Amino acid sequence: MIRRKILLFAMVVLSVLAYAEDVSFQANAPKQVILGRPFQLTYTINQRGKDLRAPEFGDFDVLAGPYTSQSSSTSFVNGKRSSSFTLTFTYTLMPRREGEISLAPATITVGHDQYRSNGLKITVLPADEEQPTGGGQQAASSGQQRDGRQQQGSQVGGDNIFMRTVVSKTKVREQECILLSYKIYWAGVDLAQFTNNTKIPEFKGFLKQDLEQGEIQTNLEHYNGRNYQTAVIYQTLLYPQKSGDLQIDPASFEAVLRVQNRAQVRSIFDDFFGSYTNVTRQLTAPGMTIHVESLPSGKPAGFSGGVGHFDISSSITQQDISMNDAVTIKLTVKGTGNMKLLKTPAIDWPEGFEVYDPKVNNNFKNTTSGVSGSKTIEYLAIARAAGDYTIPPIEFSYYDTQENKYKQLQTPEYTLHVSRGNGDTEPSAVVQNYVSKEDIKQIGSDIRYIHTGSLPTERHRLLGDFDGLWYLYFVVPALLSLLLFLIFRKQIKDNADIARVRYKKANKVAQKRLKKAKQAMSGSSAEDFYEEIEKAAFQYLSDRLSIPLATLNKENISDILRKKGASEELVQEVNSVLSTAEAARYAPSMAGGKEDLYQATADLIDKIEKVKL
Amino acid sequence: MKRLIYILLLFPLCVNAQSWEDANTAYSEGNYAEAVVMYENIAQTGNNAEVQYNLGNAYFRTGEIARAILAYERCLRLNPRHKDAKFNLTFAESQIIDNKADTQTFFLLKWARGFRNMLPENVWLVLAVTLFLLFIVSLFLFAFAGPLTLRKTAFAVSIVTLILSACSVWCGLSLHHRDSVRDEAIVMQGIVNVKASPDKSGTDLFVLHEGTKVRISDTVGEWCQIHAGDNIGWIRLKAIERI
Repeated sequence: MIRRKILLFAMVVLSVLAYAEDVSFQANAPKQVILGRPFQLTYTINQRGKDLRAPEFGDFDVLAGPYTSQSSSTSFVNGKRSSSFTLTFTYTLMPRREGEISLAPATITVGHDQYRSNGLKITVLPADEEQPTGGGQQAASSGQQRDGRQQQGSQVGGDNIFMRTVVSKTKVREQECILLSYKIYWAGVDLAQFTNNTKIPEFKGFLKQDLEQGEIQTNLEHYNGRNYQTAVIYQTLLYPQKSGDLQIDPASFEAVLRVQNRAQVRSIFDDFFGSYTNVTRQLTAPGMTIHVESLPSGKPAGFSGGVGHFDISSSITQQDISMNDAVTIKLTVKGTGNMKLLKTPAIDWPEGFEVYDPKVNNNFKNTTSGVSGSKTIEYLAIARAAGDYTIPPIEFSYYDTQENKYKQLQTPEYTLHVSRGNGDTEPSAVVQNYVSKEDIKQIGSDIRYIHTGSLPTERHRLLGDFDGLWYLYFVVPALLSLLLFLIFRKQIKDNADIARVRYKKANKVAQKRLKKAKQAMSGSSAEDFYEEIEKAAFQYLSDRLSIPLATLNKENISDILRKKGASEELVQEVNSVLSTAEAARYAPSMAGGKEDLYQATADLIDKIEKVKL
Repeated sequence: MKRLIYILLLFPLCVNAQSWEDANTAYSEGNYAEAVVMYENIAQTGNNAEVQYNLGNAYFRTGEIARAILAYERCLRLNPRHKDAKFNLTFAESQIIDNKADTQTFFLLKWARGFRNMLPENVWLVLAVTLFLLFIVSLFLFAFAGPLTLRKTAFAVSIVTLILSACSVWCGLSLHHRDSVRDEAIVMQGIVNVKASPDKSGTDLFVLHEGTKVRISDTVGEWCQIHAGDNIGWIRLKAIERI
């Protein structure tokens, strides 16, 4: 008995503990309902709650409820006990007006605490215009079967099931994102499934980005005066790659419909379970034309190709580094648009940095409004030279689809101080002498600048051009020089004639003088004799060497002779004759015999005559 | 009265100097199209290498590469040693589509032509006359000088100067011929089909793009025969412009 009590106690404790678990209190209702049709609103709680206070149902008539139902389950898995409990309150409501109606949250008390449910927003669609053939899934109830207008055999009209192509925009700019969805509408038929036999067009001229398709959700939609069940079966993001009218081809899907047989033989089972046939039906979503405008002219210089809405931010790891340290600039582009097509902007690193390829990290998500997310670019460079550097701002420009214009963004400019660093980064003693020489590097190329000084006046042309009588510049000097040549020639010839005569006559003249000397020798005047001898020698040499007599004297005669190629012996002899004659002239007593001198002179003249000078 | 004449004579010069400054200002401020018009006006009044050079730069900036090449070529005609014009011409030629097709293929003649283009015509004439006078002087030395070595040297010098003078005359005459015939031209039209005959219906032989240099060898009506490298064909005169 006592043990039982303990057990009971334990169970109570456990259940109290269970209260301590999270309380979830939820309101559920279809998102879309149709005017004049009842629907169910449920409040579900996973604990034992009481005192449910529903909100004001102003625009809804409460047809029934609240009905309470509860369920609980306990399970042991691998010796672990888990239990679940749900308490559901159900109202049956009917809307009274069209439009969007909000329902405030309900409250419930669990233990001593009050919990609130979520609020609801319910769209009330207008009722079908013509008397509906079916009104949603529920319409296939037994009540409707009786009029049998709709579900006869496999007759499934085009109005009852069709597809639409829905695009977010039909007029876009190049690269601007559009969301395309293929939506199926059906009413009064039982859609079972889709076969694999689908044909999605190629989307020529677009870049396609499929969206992850979760579970297909059905909704109610009022379309062309009727309420349909709808579901989006395929959704994709399209980025037009060129301008003009781009055609989207129709897509086709194949759906399997379940159609109730109004078979001839109605067995008891058929009556009970109903009998259904699967009918496949080809559905075509119509094609579309998207009008794509090209981006306006005047693209900024650093246009990244981005279209959408972006924002950039940047950061730098360090601004004060030492040589051979790495520095990283991080650029983050955030936004929505054609993120995948963005060009990586480049940093114009100053010289002296070893630049590595930037590391790009993409974090994109396909959403119905386009690809959004962030692109992180890390630029790594290693400083190889000390100094202060300025890293120019990174420019990023894109076409803003919200403001319809080009936008230019810029990161701040960074200044970097690279110090020479401590000892270990200095080159060691061994390689200290080695300095890697560098040629001037051509970084870019462009034409040279204009000439900016004053306009140089045309310089005077010295002689003019090769036209007209240019050859006179050559003919006139040539003729003049020819004339000059002839004159010179004649003069030289004349001079040469005189010299030759004197040359030839030299001996004769000398002999004459010698004869005179001989006469003087026999005579009394010794001075006359010596004078004649000297004159004879000088006159002969002058004639013979073609040198004027006036320029000839005893001092330069030996030099002249040597220059003319006379032998040293001859020069000596000439000198001795001349000095003897001179000495004898001024001091006759010192002289030797006149006969000797006369003979010596005659011999000398003979000798010179034989030598070619 | 005399003063008035001087003023009248100086007037065009002043206008030129003024518009030259204006054109340079327009260029430096980036109004290249405006600068082009101004430089063209100055170029109308007289040939000046610097005006052609700046005009070429302005054309280059406005994107008219063919016109820029034409202006640089004209600048180099006036001053063959204009280094900036040479550099910019090479740069502009790197921007055009057609490869540079030399009209002269024999290397010796090509070399000679390059040598010829180093100096303008009038300088060649001065050089030729100077060398000729030197030749005469050395000839005189050879004829009348005393010492044998001097005479030998004079003879050698006379021969060398005579040859050099003849070369200079050839260079100058050749340049004069080129400038009077004006047989070199630049293609101005974006793309031109070169025909086999001077006729609209002629077979298309090859295609030339703007900025390419061609040599004109014959003209028939509004057509002319051109040489571009080894290719010969007929082209409309208005598609090209003579340098």
